[in-house]
Amino acid sequence: MTTTMSNPAPAIEVENLCIRYGGVTAVENVSFIAAGGEQLTLLGPSGCGKTSTLRAVAGLETPTSGAIRIGGQTVYDNRAGVNVRTEQRGMSMVFQSYAIWPHMTVFENVAYGLRVRKHGGAALADKVRHALDLVKMGQYAGRNASALSGGQQQRVALARAVAFSPSVILFDEPLSNLDAKLRSEMRIELRELQRRLGVTSLYVTHDLEEALAMSDRVVVMRAGAVEQSGTPADIYDLPRTAFVADFVGSANLVSGDVVASDADRGTVAIRTKDGLVVHGVTHGRRVEQAGTISIRTVHLSLAAERPAGEVNVWPVQIMRSVFLGDVMQVHVLWGAQELVIRRIGAPLNIGGEAAFLHAPPERCALLEASG
Amino acid sequence: MATVVAMVAVLVLYPMYYLFQAALDVGLPDTRPPTAYGVANFAKLLDYPTVLWNTLVVTCAATLLALLFGFISAWILTRTNVPFRRTLDQLMTVPYYVTPLLGALAWSLLGAPESGFINQVWRKFFGTEALIDITSPMGIAWVMALFEGSVAYVMISAVMQSMDPALEEASAVMGGSRWRTMWRITLPLVAPGVLGAAIFVFAEMLGSFSVALVLGTPARFYVITTAIYHFVSQYPPRIALAAAMGASLFAVMFAMLWLYRWLTSRNSFVTVSGKAFRPRVMDMGPLRWVLFAVVALYVLASAALPVATLLFAALQKLAVAFPAASNFTLDHFRQAFSINAVRTAMLNSIMLAMVTATIGVIMTGLLSWIILRSRLPGRGVLEYLAMFPQAVPRIVFAFGMMWAWLVFPLPVYGTFWVLLIAYLTVFMPLGVRTISGVVLQLDKSLDECGQVCGASWWYRMRTITAPLLRPGLLAAWLLIFVASVRELGASILLMGPDSKVMTPAIVEAWFSSSSELTAAMALIQTVVITATMVVFGLFTRRLAQRAVSAP
Repeated sequence: MTTTMSNPAPAIEVENLCIRYGGVTAVENVSFIAAGGEQLTLLGPSGCGKTSTLRAVAGLETPTSGAIRIGGQTVYDNRAGVNVRTEQRGMSMVFQSYAIWPHMTVFENVAYGLRVRKHGGAALADKVRHALDLVKMGQYAGRNASALSGGQQQRVALARAVAFSPSVILFDEPLSNLDAKLRSEMRIELRELQRRLGVTSLYVTHDLEEALAMSDRVVVMRAGAVEQSGTPADIYDLPRTAFVADFVGSANLVSGDVVASDADRGTVAIRTKDGLVVHGVTHGRRVEQAGTISIRTVHLSLAAERPAGEVNVWPVQIMRSVFLGDVMQVHVLWGAQELVIRRIGAPLNIGGEAAFLHAPPERCALLEASG
Repeated sequence: MATVVAMVAVLVLYPMYYLFQAALDVGLPDTRPPTAYGVANFAKLLDYPTVLWNTLVVTCAATLLALLFGFISAWILTRTNVPFRRTLDQLMTVPYYVTPLLGALAWSLLGAPESGFINQVWRKFFGTEALIDITSPMGIAWVMALFEGSVAYVMISAVMQSMDPALEEASAVMGGSRWRTMWRITLPLVAPGVLGAAIFVFAEMLGSFSVALVLGTPARFYVITTAIYHFVSQYPPRIALAAAMGASLFAVMFAMLWLYRWLTSRNSFVTVSGKAFRPRVMDMGPLRWVLFAVVALYVLASAALPVATLLFAALQKLAVAFPAASNFTLDHFRQAFSINAVRTAMLNSIMLAMVTATIGVIMTGLLSWIILRSRLPGRGVLEYLAMFPQAVPRIVFAFGMMWAWLVFPLPVYGTFWVLLIAYLTVFMPLGVRTISGVVLQLDKSLDECGQVCGASWWYRMRTITAPLLRPGLLAAWLLIFVASVRELGASILLMGPDSKVMTPAIVEAWFSSSSELTAAMALIQTVVITATMVVFGLFTRRLAQRAVSAP
């Protein structure tokens, strides 16, 4: 595993990837680059083409067109007629179903990739033990694989994926079959492991928290195409489209006519149908006649008294409060539209009460006009 | 791929072509290929209204009875707290292994109007009339239903088990009583599945042969399948008429199975989700012992009683109901082993079954893999072709094969080769179905993971696919072996004087020599099959253990 440190892990490049099944297009013109040692996550709802993309990188799916390069080496290119077989791509993968071979012991499962590579004897046993220790499954080596719990199978699958020191690991929703508590534990462990091994990893999930917590970069996919890519913070703070704003955490979307914009300072203001004016930031996005602004539920604040001299302060009616444990969710009537606010602190008890809503303009992001 | 499709197509369709050629042949007799085509042969079928009527009566009665057996046992075993449920569930499949032929022989000994054991006992105590007549249409239907009931049970209990108990629980929560729940929720939900089973069973009954042959023919009572056999084997044979009957029977059966497929593939009902549920069990109180008796009685009548009857008969010099010490003998068993023809037929059957099972597993394994795991074009056609023989009654298929191989340039007719080809074709659906079941259960990613790990196709086949498929392949081998040893409908037409096999030999013995000797032969066959299954079971368990303990 030390070899991967001295040898920088290879980058994964996907270029204009298209996958069609008969008349159905599963993936269309998807491009992204995961730099060496980086963890890149494909995030999206089921059926968005993220798993097809991952399987194409693994070589388990034959794309219709495009190119895939690993560490600069082309493994698939339809124009050049290159399609390297899965077993020759030298990657590793953790499957959603874990794919633990039920007829082998834990040891044999983990040793598989090493045996394929003609390792044997003490060196093999050493590496297997090391991989099992990484996932704290050392004492289960002799156990029959069919006698493991879901969480244990997950760990064995992970050990098997890293045992032969691969430099690229693919993850196909590896945590989706675990219960919530185990999932949040494994999330941190996986991230630690990935950092420690210094491998390049491509991770597929539909779970937002997982994507934000584990990734260096996130590619949000929708209906077979890339919707937005960037760092987790970028994706969260500056959603490019209404879909991303909505899918990546809860957001309020407000639309209206553009009444002011300043290209130099990157600010914009819109007026809604109800005549409410919202000031926001453009982040270099094109300003048109009308626009939609996304405001995260946590970036809105409520006050009983009008805050002095601020923009983006509106009088609202509190409709109801919902206690969610860590946070309180408050629904307010803003003009004719209902907005949702999530806040920490004492519950607001009164329905029907008037209050003042405030949103910092730098937290109000203009969305790109979506087609 | 094209060669595989072509090979299967030849196996399956070549005989069917000759069946229809013969059915449409209205030219000069004994001239092939036909000099003129027409439908006159089909019109002649109407000259035999009794055969058609008999078939309809027996098939309908047997189907209703079999469904009744199947439904009642399925309901008792999936929905009530009947004692020894698991044991009973296993016993319910035994009649299927006892086979209708064995059942017909045994029930003939039990219920023949003159000499039947039951009638002997009845006469002794209650007068001169016979109590039952097993050779009557209802008697024949009874024996057929006893053995098909087991199939109906498996199908219906699968439907009942795949129903989400929450659907019934919801009715109970809303205040519906047990019986209301049963009538308004359970029955409507299982109805489509039961209808599917009804159609399947009806089609099987239409094509069934052995029971009507053993019980009906001595009294000149014919159904379509036995009539076909009769027309082919009488002198002079009436080939064209037999072919027309066979073609018509095939058409009806094909339509029924198509309907069955259509019904079951239409996922309009919510009950079948492919998920196994633990159905809610009703507490029947003391009544559960009555329900236990009902199921036990069925197993007794269809499995224990026939085997016991055959044993009782085979051990007597002359089979009678009341045992006498002087009447017992082992002569029939000795005779069965000493007659050269019998011994040869037995050995032939076992050899042939082994070869069929071995080639069959390789062939159907390959077919299943292509159908389910390849992306090759034409695999849909392949699946259709492979399952096609299911829609053809064996006797009809054998007729087509006989007619086909008679004109084939290779001299295979009347040899083991033609039997081997016939077995491989008629058992193709059995093999493909069994192996497909295992392939389907195998998570695709198990193989893909080996691929990602860098293992070549052969390496993966050796270390992952083959070991995981092994239990399924062995099960398919055993099923094909057992089915081959017991095969009657195809063998009876296709075996030649130098290629005798066991089951037709048993039927021949029944018609031409003593029933005691036949009983002994049938028992020997049963013991051979049971022994094979036991040895095989031990062997596979050993294999499984070794696989587990391997480092």
